[in-house]
Parts: sequence; C-alpha cells; structure tokens
Amino acid sequence: MQNSLQTKQEHRKNLSSWLLSLPTLIWLSCFFLIPYLIVTIYSFLSPDIYDVKFEVSLDAYRQIFSGDYLRPFILSFRLAIYTTLLCIVLGFPVAYFIARAKEKTKNLLLIFIIIPFWTNLIIRIFSWRIFLAYNGVMNDTLMNMGLISQPLEILRTDLAVILVMVYVYLPYMILPLYSVLEKLDFTLLNAAMDLGANEVKAFFRITLPLAVEGIFAGTLLVFIPALGAYLIPQLVGNQQSLYIGQVITYKIKNIPRNWPMASALSLTLLLLVAFLLLVMYGLYRHHQKRKVWQ
Amino acid sequence: MEDIILENLSKDFGGFRAVDNVNLTIKSGELFSFLGPSGCGKTTLLRMIAGFELPSSGAVRLGDQDISDLPPYKREVNTIFQNYSLFPHMTLFDNVAFGLRIKRRPKGEIKERVQEMLNLVKMEDQAAKYPNQISGGQKQRIAIARALINKPHVLLLDEPLAALDLKLRQHMLIELMNIHDAVGITFIYVTHDQSEAMSISDRLAVMNRGKIVQSGPPDDIYERPASIFSAYFIGETNLVSGTVTAVYKDYVELDCPDGSGKSFQIDSSFQKTPEAGSRITLSLRPEKIAIARNKPRHQDDINMIKGQIEDILYLGTHTQYIVRVGLLKFRVFSQHKRVYFDDKALDWEENVWLFWHDTDTWVVETLEGEEMPETELNEGGNLQRYVKRGKS
Repeated sequence: MQNSLQTKQEHRKNLSSWLLSLPTLIWLSCFFLIPYLIVTIYSFLSPDIYDVKFEVSLDAYRQIFSGDYLRPFILSFRLAIYTTLLCIVLGFPVAYFIARAKEKTKNLLLIFIIIPFWTNLIIRIFSWRIFLAYNGVMNDTLMNMGLISQPLEILRTDLAVILVMVYVYLPYMILPLYSVLEKLDFTLLNAAMDLGANEVKAFFRITLPLAVEGIFAGTLLVFIPALGAYLIPQLVGNQQSLYIGQVITYKIKNIPRNWPMASALSLTLLLLVAFLLLVMYGLYRHHQKRKVWQ
Repeated sequence: MEDIILENLSKDFGGFRAVDNVNLTIKSGELFSFLGPSGCGKTTLLRMIAGFELPSSGAVRLGDQDISDLPPYKREVNTIFQNYSLFPHMTLFDNVAFGLRIKRRPKGEIKERVQEMLNLVKMEDQAAKYPNQISGGQKQRIAIARALINKPHVLLLDEPLAALDLKLRQHMLIELMNIHDAVGITFIYVTHDQSEAMSISDRLAVMNRGKIVQSGPPDDIYERPASIFSAYFIGETNLVSGTVTAVYKDYVELDCPDGSGKSFQIDSSFQKTPEAGSRITLSLRPEKIAIARNKPRHQDDINMIKGQIEDILYLGTHTQYIVRVGLLKFRVFSQHKRVYFDDKALDWEENVWLFWHDTDTWVVETLEGEEMPETELNEGGNLQRYVKRGKS
C-alpha cells in the first residue's frame, strides 16, 4: 500500500521534472542540436566560392586526417595546456589566501576577482594591446626606469597570447579552487605538521588532494574554452601561428570560402572536446569512487 | 625519557595575556592534566608545548633541550586534536601510517608498525575504512594510534573526549589509562571536566586566567584546595567567608555575612590556624556533612549547626539538601542509608542538625583580588552549576 503510494509520488515527481525542463530542451534542440546537424551535413559536401555544392565529398576529412591541419590543433592544445597549468599555479595561492582571510576581507577580495567581468572582454584585450605595444605603457615605463634599452616585442607573439589568456581565464580557476579551499579544515594541516610533515609536505599530502575537485572544475572551465580560443590570438597574436579557432574563421571569411572544411574542423574539435570531457569525467568518477568520505 | 619543563612561560595575544608566567615540571611517564574553565589558557599552553604557538616569553624544555622555537614537525611531541582531525581522504591505515611515510620508513616496517598500533587501539579489522565510515569513539582510537606511531616522548590530548557521549566517555577514559600504562610515555591532558581530570590524572594543575592556581595529585587538590577557585571549580563545595574574630585552640570564630558570630571547629594539627582579624574562607564539601533530625551525641572533634531544610533534590546516588542556617545556605549530599534513616525521610521545612568532622573544615587562603564566585552560596547556585557542566 505504502509502496504503491511511494511509486505514484515518484512518477509524479519524474513527470513534473520532465515538464519543467521541456522549454530548455526545445531551446537546445532548436539552437544547438539542429545547427550542429547542419554543420555535420555541410562537412560532407563540396566547397564553392561563396557557398556549398550539394555533392557528397570526404575531401575535408581526408585533408584533416592527412595532417594538413595538425599544426593549428597542436598550437591550440599547447595554448590550452599552458593556460590551464599557469592558471592552476597562479590561482592556487590566491584562492588559498582568500579562503584563509577573515570573513569580511574574504568578500572584498572575491569582489576584486569578479570586477573584471564587469568590463567587456574586447575592451580588456585592447587595453592589453595598449599596454604591451612596441611603444606602449609597459615598454615606456621599463625604458624610463632604465631596465631595458630597447622596447620588448611582446605584442603579436605567442607569449602575449598566453599572457592575456591567463589574465582572462584566471578568475574561472580561482573561484572553484576557492570554493573547495574554503571548506578545507585547516586543523588537518596542524595535524600533518604535528606528525612530522613540514609545510611543503603538508601541502602536497593534505591540501592538494583535498582540493582536487576544485582543480577538476577549474580545468573544465579553463581548458575547454581555451582550446577554441579565437578572439585573443586574433587580437594579440600573430599570423604565423594560427590557432584552430582562427583557421575555422578564415575558412568562412576568406574567399573562396570553404564551408565543408570549416564544418569538418569544427566537428573534429567538438569530438576532441567531447572525448576529453569523457576522459575527465572518467577520472572524476574514479576519484569519487575512492572518495567515499564526503 | 625526559621531563617537560615549563619555565616562566607566558603568551600574549594582542593585549590579552592567555598564559601568565607558568612554571611547572611534568615528570616523564606521568599522566598530567590541565584543568580549568574555557578561556583559562590551558589549550594555549598545550599548543605551545606542541609548537603551534610560540611563547611570548619563557621556555618549553624537553629534558635538557629547549624546544620553544622548534616547529611542530621537529618536536618529539604528538597531539590528539579535539575533533580528531583525521585525514578524510585517507584510509584508517594510511592515517596511522602518515607519520612513518613522512619519515620515509621502509614499507615492511610501516605495515608492521601500523598493525601494531591498530592492535593497541583494537581497530585492526577496520584498517581499510575511511574516517567518515566510523563512529566518534573509533575516530578517537585512530587518532591515538596515529599520534603514537612516531613514538613521541609526550602525547598531548586536547579535550579528547569532549565530542563523545557520557557512557563512551567513561569507557574511553579507562581505555586511555590502559594505553598510557601500555606505552609508558608522558600524557598531557587538557580538559574542562573536573571528573575526567580527577579520575585519569597522576597529577593535575588547576588553571584560571592564564595562571596555575594549584597543582598536585587529585585527592590533594580536592581535599586541600589552596584557593577559593580550586575549591569551587573542583567538585561541589560550601564556601563560608568571614572575618576571624577569635581564635582558640582548634576553634575559630567567624563573623559571618549574616551578622551572626559562628564558631567552626578546625584541626590545627591538620592545617594552619588563621590569625584573628584576617579574612578567611572555609570550604566544606557537601558530602562530608551529615544531616539528621535529632541532635547528635556531643563529641570534641565534631562541628554541629542547626538549620532548616529549604530544598531537596533527589539525584539517585544521593540526595542534595539545601539547608538554611541563618542567612547562610549549606548544600549537603546524603546517601539513603536506611541504617541512619530508619525513621521517616527528611521533609521540606524540617529543622535538622548538620555535623561534620573538624578536619573537614578546610581553611582556604583568600588570594589577592580573589572574589567569591557569584553562583556559590545563593539559592540558584547549585542548579546553575549543574546546567553549566552539562552543556559543554
């Protein structure tokens, strides 16, 4: 009797949750699933000067698999890896510091982290251009201080791309790291030190393992967008090292256009990201399984 | 094995002096307790011995070695933390093994020693579990095993039983004593619970406002409190303050707060006789006082006072009577021994005789600036103290 009542209630719960997510489902199918279907179809067609010819062709994939586009893929992966690692290394101390601050200071510091979001991304990137330029603020200052005799050529290099990428994505790493470090019981570090661990050992054996979830979340938020980076390489990078996002754009922008190539590259990137997500999810599940303790 | 020596040890936090000029030697192998109300500085003292706080002045020594400035990981001292602080991401085995792994001991040795420790605390069959899968008492055991594996000279225990319920607490207390006997190292125990401290310790120090008020074996502190604070903080007591108006052999006459002159018999061979004109406080333990309806037969060494029962609290093991004597109130604990009370039980408003042996009239030196605790000697006092103790 009670059982059937329970199942009835569960049914109703299931139904209502379905109904509630219906608008989102419709939205996503119209503006995400269907466009991607079109992209998929385009990737198997032949290019024309402005549009596509409706002739089935595997040329685009053939080119990708023959390695013609290996360089932009490698460059993008390298950029994403560097950005993520630098964000972890730079973000961790900041997140740790905020997590250990007094309650009032904490909120203030968090606001400082969030403030950059209030300004448009393009404006922020342009200000970096002004800052890094050959006769820009940074070079002027360093020359005036006599630290350098010639302006540094940083703008339009890969270094500039990484620098600005890290600047833009750092908050996305700090915030999830902060949220795990904030929950960390700092007496555990006392216990570790009491048992003979110095500060470094205590960090690697206690703090870091307990912050793994934050690193996972931060990596997810930084690595994947960094992989498809277009705007930052375009504005502060150079044309010798094109990232995959730029290559895809050029395939559509430059005439003759090559829609199938752009589509195939987009799809390949999507599949690579999906694969990475699966790997990370697997790692995370593995971690969760071991972590029966929360 | 070496003694722990505290020399002129002080700790200031801003303008607040948490520990004030403490001098003490804790002998090797001793089970020593620091007892005091919260905020008395006992935990700060412990943290200075562990190395989590550096002394503002004075020194902590382990034998001949001054360890005041050593970081915690260089001291041969380990701690049981109040909430155990087990590492949540490690199995119980890994928790216990932590100290040896840090020291990079060989695997075989680690396995053997961890097993040995788990056997000591009777947790050998739970090694693969994680801390959140075991009970509070079991966490306690693991914390002990983890702290002892490094073979420290001293084990510090910071209110280790505070998180456990009463029955488990009593059980763990005996367990702790057994472990102390088994490993033979110095245990320094910090608690605000006087019954815990009394039952477990070889010696204890009563602390108040950063100072050690009295130290010694539990029975010594209980029977011969050196100050008002140790008299009322350890156990229950009746405190009677007044000015000594006259001193006879084995008698003092006190001018009591109610304006009446009362004489109390003391045993001058047992304690120092106060001088006439001095302000003194007498401590009378409630269980030392006998209560009866009829006037007892006169004896030379017995105090006798007549009073009226104001309140009766039945507490199972004993009954607490609150007896009014003039403006004074006495608390009396009496067991229900039918040998004494074969007639009908004492009732409210009844006139009774209180009597006690002269050695139980303990004269407490009133320290400079020491005041009578407000909760004592007034009506609500008893109950308030019961509530207070039950809470934390």
